[in-house]
Amino acid sequence: MLLDYDRMGWLKIALLGFTALVAGFLLLPVVFIVLLSFGSSHWLAFPPPGWTLKWYQELFADPAWLDAALTSARIATMTAILSVVIGLLASFALVRGRFAGREILRGVLLTPMVLPVVVFAIAIYAFFLRLGLGGTTIGFVIAHTVLALPFAIIPIATALEGFDKSIEDAAIVCGASPLEARLRITLPSIRIGIFSAAIFSFLASWDEVVVAIFMASPSLQTLPVKIWGSLRSDLSPVIAAASSLLVGLTLALMVVTALLQRKVRT
Amino acid sequence: MTQPFLSIRNLRKAFGSITAVHDVTLEIPKGEFLTFLGPSGSGKSTTLYAIAGFQDPSSGDVELEGKSLLAVPSHQRNIGMVFQRYTLFPHLTVAENVAFPLRVRRRPEAEVKKKVADMLALVRLESFAARLPGALSGGQQQRVALARALAYDPPILLMDEPLSALDKKLREEIQGEIRRIHRETGVTILYVTHDQEEALHLSDRIALFRDGRVEQTGSGEDLYLRPATDFVAGFIGNSNFLAAEHLDTKDGTATIRLADGSVVSGVRANGTFGKGQKAKLMIRPEAFGMERSPASAELNVEIVDVAFYGERRRIVARTSGGEGVDIRPTSAAMQSQDLAPCSRQVFFDPTAAFLFPA
Amino acid sequence: MSVETRQSLPTFRMPAGFNGLLPALVLIVLFFVVPVMALLLRSVTEPEPGLQNYAALLGDGTYARVFFNTFLVASVVTIVTILVAFPVAWMLAIMPSALASIVFGVIILSMWTNLLTRTYAWMVLLQRTGVINRTLMAAGISDQPLPLINNLTGITIGMVYIMLPFMILPLVGTLRAIDPMTLRAAALCGASPFQAFRRILLPLSLPGIAAGGLMVFVMSLGYFVTPALLGGTSNMMLAEMIAQMIQSLLNWGLGSAAAFILLVVTMALYALQLRLVGARRMSGGA
Repeated sequence: MLLDYDRMGWLKIALLGFTALVAGFLLLPVVFIVLLSFGSSHWLAFPPPGWTLKWYQELFADPAWLDAALTSARIATMTAILSVVIGLLASFALVRGRFAGREILRGVLLTPMVLPVVVFAIAIYAFFLRLGLGGTTIGFVIAHTVLALPFAIIPIATALEGFDKSIEDAAIVCGASPLEARLRITLPSIRIGIFSAAIFSFLASWDEVVVAIFMASPSLQTLPVKIWGSLRSDLSPVIAAASSLLVGLTLALMVVTALLQRKVRT
Repeated sequence: MTQPFLSIRNLRKAFGSITAVHDVTLEIPKGEFLTFLGPSGSGKSTTLYAIAGFQDPSSGDVELEGKSLLAVPSHQRNIGMVFQRYTLFPHLTVAENVAFPLRVRRRPEAEVKKKVADMLALVRLESFAARLPGALSGGQQQRVALARALAYDPPILLMDEPLSALDKKLREEIQGEIRRIHRETGVTILYVTHDQEEALHLSDRIALFRDGRVEQTGSGEDLYLRPATDFVAGFIGNSNFLAAEHLDTKDGTATIRLADGSVVSGVRANGTFGKGQKAKLMIRPEAFGMERSPASAELNVEIVDVAFYGERRRIVARTSGGEGVDIRPTSAAMQSQDLAPCSRQVFFDPTAAFLFPA
Repeated sequence: MSVETRQSLPTFRMPAGFNGLLPALVLIVLFFVVPVMALLLRSVTEPEPGLQNYAALLGDGTYARVFFNTFLVASVVTIVTILVAFPVAWMLAIMPSALASIVFGVIILSMWTNLLTRTYAWMVLLQRTGVINRTLMAAGISDQPLPLINNLTGITIGMVYIMLPFMILPLVGTLRAIDPMTLRAAALCGASPFQAFRRILLPLSLPGIAAGGLMVFVMSLGYFVTPALLGGTSNMMLAEMIAQMIQSLLNWGLGSAAAFILLVVTMALYALQLRLVGARRMSGGA
């Protein structure tokens, strides 16, 4: 009866209470940071003595923050596009292909996800120093694409596995060319997977700290590097303002994802 | 009837606005094999779950030897149960599964060993003791489930459609096992099924459920030969229903007029009918014969099709009013050439025909 | 479908099943495998050829402390994460879907929020003058600020926070795959709720706990950002040490050797995890 929600009595109350506590724990930093960003205390007193927008004004007044945000957005967008395209091609091969060592190759492509980022960060840092790619946009995009690729392949391959190939074959029998059948039938059918891949690989780059810390140069800083640098000097409420905007972005992405999924279901 | 062992009193169970069980009252003597038979959604499983303690009834009571079970949590009810799906513990071996109820009762290890051996012998799976459930066939898994449910000598064994996931041959084989085990152990069994053949084959008594109520309780023969309602007649065995008009009733036997105008006397009336009241006449397919006998009534039909079923033939026929009639005389009773599509008379014993309200 | 169409289908396939993998493989080999191998090479060639870097790392008490710390933190984080995640996953597996989707929403929000943002929030929350210490003192639970940051407590809170979603989400899947009827059967067999939990529910969720726990452990071993910001100097973990060796000390030989040790341990545990998940898949099919 331990899996009968309606028959668990006091145990259910206790477990639900615990779940609520954990949900509160998960929500606490996110909510806290947003409240703090509107607080007037420079020393982050909570509850704040008053409410203000001055941290946001300070944030927008400092071109370094905007610069870092734009750099991050540019790199993350390029990473997402590259990861989705490469991931799409790879997923078709991994799901549909019938060649020896397919499972091993899948494992190899997913390895960057499990390898500690620090190891990859110093490896690629050293490598790019030699190639002269350190501190360049292209260097960032390449390194982030390596890290983001698993997050693109997993949702696309999963969607593709759930897609009945005979539908694509039917389109071909109807006279579509194989490429046309893929573009017009298969891709639209797995669009949720592709969309998830885009979001995940965008976030993988946008949030990436470790490689960025090693690769960044004074002239090319991503947002996480900028936050990292500020964090190490002081805990200024400007970081809270920047962080709140990031939370806003996350919420927006979640809402878009939820709406898209609902649209697909109905 | 012996002193009631298990009683179900005015049991009612509502889920929100839907009432699954309206009002069920049953008395079950010790050692009986009682089957809850009925279509899905008739409340038979809900009643069983209330006995098991998986659901609290909205009102009513379940008593074992005069004591209410309702306040007793499932794990203290000491009831055995075999489920529709295989609910063996997948991480335990067959022997450990059977030992489980004994181990949680902290019985001494020597007793557990002996009991497990006895139980596996009872279901004839001694050589499978060390296997995991996943390595067993469906039928074997249900036999292990039976051994597990009986290992702690529960006074009552509940079985919730235990054979529905098995194929026909296996089902018949395990039905035999269940009958044997009931005989050997004397355990009181409450058995839920929607399969009337299974119910007739296994049970001492059948409670026929319909829409959350017990429509009729009795032996298989009672239900088959003396159905209380047209629903019982329709659910147990095969039956033909012909539209009829009631003319007169005397001493429980009625005279009626069928749609084609023919008048039949001596059919059994279930309930009271007014003169001219619309009714329906139920006749079992095997109650029909092709030869006239002194007491028989006749029916004009057109024969549409004939099929050979081994010991019986099945004749698909139609009355002049267009009502389908299913006729199953024994094969020996006629030659097949007699049955070429044609119009002819068939005969039935009016005392084997029942009149129900329309 | 007729035999004829079935035979003609292979010609409809993309030119070759393998070609699509080429861009991904080129990327991974050129910018992942080669750099990592070059790093390995550096660990045995700098400052001079030989294994002296590994000897130094494994023979020195200071480094041994870092290794010990890394395993300690990863173990504590894993155990706490499992203990916190299990009840939540249990409820999520059986609660009404409207309620569950709210909890899932909270989990996703926390998971998708920028890592530095979350860590920053904990830095502010846990500091000496932070909300948590003030609340504890106001409530009279303690009369002076507790050291919650720059120590094991700080790392554990911050890391458990980050790892919880990775434990909860797969565990919900494991628990949902268990037939509730099995637990009903256990109850009717006479098992008290505690016995049913210990003998049935827990063993049946063990594969999920083991797989998820191993994943959390592996991820914690190599974590850099959160320990660096919430931990103290006495709790330095391997990833931070590697970063320091390269960035501040410019000791590439030692740093690469330490990185390679981290890589080998991680990959070995990852292989173990794959075997566990594979085994679960097989038993789940029955």
